[in-house]
Amino acid sequence: MSSTVGEAKATCERCRTPLERGDLRCAICGLGAPNTAAPGDQKLSIQVLRCEGCGAAVAYDAKVGAPICSFCNSVMRLDEILDPPEQTGGFVPFRVTKAEAQATLRSWLGDRGFFRPRDLASRSTLESLKPLFWVGWVFDATAEVSWTADSDLGSRRSNWAPHSGVTSMVFDNLLVSASRGLNDEEVDHITDSYSLAEIESAPHSSPAGSVDLEGALVESFDVQRSLARKRIVRSIERTAAGRVAAHHVPGSRCRKVHASVLLKGLETRRLSFPAWVLAYRYEGKLYRAVISGQDAAVITGTSPFSFKRLLLAVGIAALVILVVLVVAALIASVS
Amino acid sequence: MSTVEAAAEPVLEVQCRDCGAKITMPAHRFAATCPYCASPSVVDRPVDAKGHRKEQPDFILGFDVTREEATRRVEGWVAKSRLFAPSAIKRAEVTGIQGIYLPAWLYGSVARSSYQARIGENYTTTETYTTTDSKGNTQIRTRTVTKTEHRDLTGNHSAYVLDVVVTASKGLGNKELETIEPFDLRAMRRYDAAVVSGWAAEEATLSRDEGFHIARDEAMDKVAAKLSDFLPGDSSTLVDFDTDFSEENTDLVLLPVYVFAARWGDDKTLRILVNGQTGEVQGEVPRSKVKIAAATLLGLGLIALIVLMIIGASAL
Repeated sequence: MSSTVGEAKATCERCRTPLERGDLRCAICGLGAPNTAAPGDQKLSIQVLRCEGCGAAVAYDAKVGAPICSFCNSVMRLDEILDPPEQTGGFVPFRVTKAEAQATLRSWLGDRGFFRPRDLASRSTLESLKPLFWVGWVFDATAEVSWTADSDLGSRRSNWAPHSGVTSMVFDNLLVSASRGLNDEEVDHITDSYSLAEIESAPHSSPAGSVDLEGALVESFDVQRSLARKRIVRSIERTAAGRVAAHHVPGSRCRKVHASVLLKGLETRRLSFPAWVLAYRYEGKLYRAVISGQDAAVITGTSPFSFKRLLLAVGIAALVILVVLVVAALIASVS
Repeated sequence: MSTVEAAAEPVLEVQCRDCGAKITMPAHRFAATCPYCASPSVVDRPVDAKGHRKEQPDFILGFDVTREEATRRVEGWVAKSRLFAPSAIKRAEVTGIQGIYLPAWLYGSVARSSYQARIGENYTTTETYTTTDSKGNTQIRTRTVTKTEHRDLTGNHSAYVLDVVVTASKGLGNKELETIEPFDLRAMRRYDAAVVSGWAAEEATLSRDEGFHIARDEAMDKVAAKLSDFLPGDSSTLVDFDTDFSEENTDLVLLPVYVFAARWGDDKTLRILVNGQTGEVQGEVPRSKVKIAAATLLGLGLIALIVLMIIGASAL
C-alpha cells in the first residue's frame, strides 16, 4: 500500500523546515505535507475492501486500530503512523585518550581551590573511567522573534517600565541535550568543546584506534520524534528569550522577558558526543567528573568540601578583625 | 409524511458490489454497509451531481473506542447526569449509537498582530495616616503600601497558529464539536478508504471558505490568549489588537465521533456525542421543570422549618 517516495528532501512550503519521511504535516508550522500518491480518477466508484485471506469484505475495527476480516479474523495492514524513536545520525569522535583523561583528573583534583582537602589529589582513588557517547540535537534555524519585557530604562515611580520589540535571530549549530546520563549542568559545561567536522556512522576515535571503545556506553534517544520536536522548540524559545534579555532589552536590568518565535527552516541533526565519565573515591565517598571527549582541558564534576578548612578560614578572619579592633582601641586610648 | 422527508434530504443510490442490492444513503454520506449482505462499501465520488469537484479528505483519525465502550460510557453519563433531568431520559435505553466519521477543517496560518496594552507596574511607597489610640489621642503613623502605575505599551507579535479544528458538517455545529475536543492529532494518518470501511462517513457540507471563516474566529481567540500571556508587568490588560492572517491553509480531516440521538416527549431531541478517540462524552441534558420546582419547594420548606425551630427555641 505504501508508495515509494524519492529520497530527495522535501521542505515545508510555508516555513522551509525539512520534512522527514512519514511526516504528514510540518512539525513547526503545521502545514500539510504534499501528498505524493496519485490522485484518483474522476468517476464514481464503489470500493469494497477484500480480505487477502478469504476474500470476504473487511471493516475497520476500533479495538485493533486496523481493518479486520470478521470471517477469518485476519488483520489488514495499514500504513504505520510514523512517530519513531529518535535515532542518532552520527558520532563525533573521541580525541582524548584514556591516559590524558586520567592526567586531567589528577591535575584538576590538585587545583580545586582553598576549601578542598589538601590531600585530595594524593588520597583519591579512581573507581572507574568509562567512555560514553551521549546524545543531543544540533539545530540550525532562523527566526523572527517578537518580545516584551520590563526594564529599568524609562521607569518612573516604579522600578520598571514595559518595552517591546521585534528582531530576527539566527541559530547556528545550537545544541540541545537529550542525555539521561549527564545532567544539564554537565552538558552546558562541555558543549562548546565539540567540533562537528568529523562525523561517522559508528562510534570511533581520531586518530582511529587511539581509544579502546570496547565497553563504551552508547546512549540512545529515548524519546519519540513528536516529543523531541516539542523539546527542541521549547529549548529554542528559551534560548531566544535569553538572547533578548542579554542583547535586545534596553536599560541595565530586565525582568519578565517574553519571546514569541516564528521559526523558519529548522534543520535538526541527531548526534552522539564523546565524553569520559570518571568516578573517584575520597574517604569512602564517591564523586563524579566528566571530561569532554574532544578537549582534555574541559572538565566538570563534584569534589569533597573541607569543613576543616572552612573553620580555619573563619577563625583567621575573626582573629584579624579582633587584632584590628584591639589596635584601634589602643590608638584611641593613646590619643 | 415519509415522502416529504425523502424529498427534503437527497439520497444517493448505489449498488452493492457483493450482492447487487440497491443501497440508499444520504447524499452527503460516502460510506455504508449493505443491509442484505453486510458488505461495507466506500463510495469514491470525486465530482458531485453538478459536476463540481468534491473535497477529498486529506487526513483521518481512526476510531480507538469501540461501539460497546461508547455505549457503556453514554449509559454511565446518562445515569449520573444531572439531578434535574426528566426521569424519562435517565431511564432511556442507549441503543443505536452510531459511529460516524465527521468531516472537519484543520486550519493553520501565520498570525501577525499589532497590539495596544496597558501595563501595571507596582511600586511601594510610605504614607502617613492619622488614627486615634485607645485613650482617644490622635496619632500620626506611617505605613508601606503597594501602588500600581499604569503605562501604555504598543508592539507587534508574530506566531504560527496551528491545529485549529472546526466542523465541516452542517449537521453538527462547531460549538457542539468543541465540547468533545481535543483530538490527539498525532495519531492522524493520510486518508485511506480502509479506515472508513464499515463505518458511516460524511462528506464536507460546509465549504472550505465557510471553514476559513469559522476557523479565523477561533484562531483570533487563540491569538488573544497568546497576547495576554505575552505582556510584561505585574498586571496587564490587552486594550486592542489587530491581526493579519497570512499563508493560511486548511486540510480536510475525518474525525471519529459516536452520536447517540434520542427523541423524547413530542418534539424534543437529545443528542449525546462521544469522542471516538478519547471517549469524552458530552451532551446537553434537558432539565425537568417539575423536578426543579420540587427541589425549590423542598429547599424553601427546609428553611422555613429551621426558622420555626429557632423561633421556638428562643421562645423557650
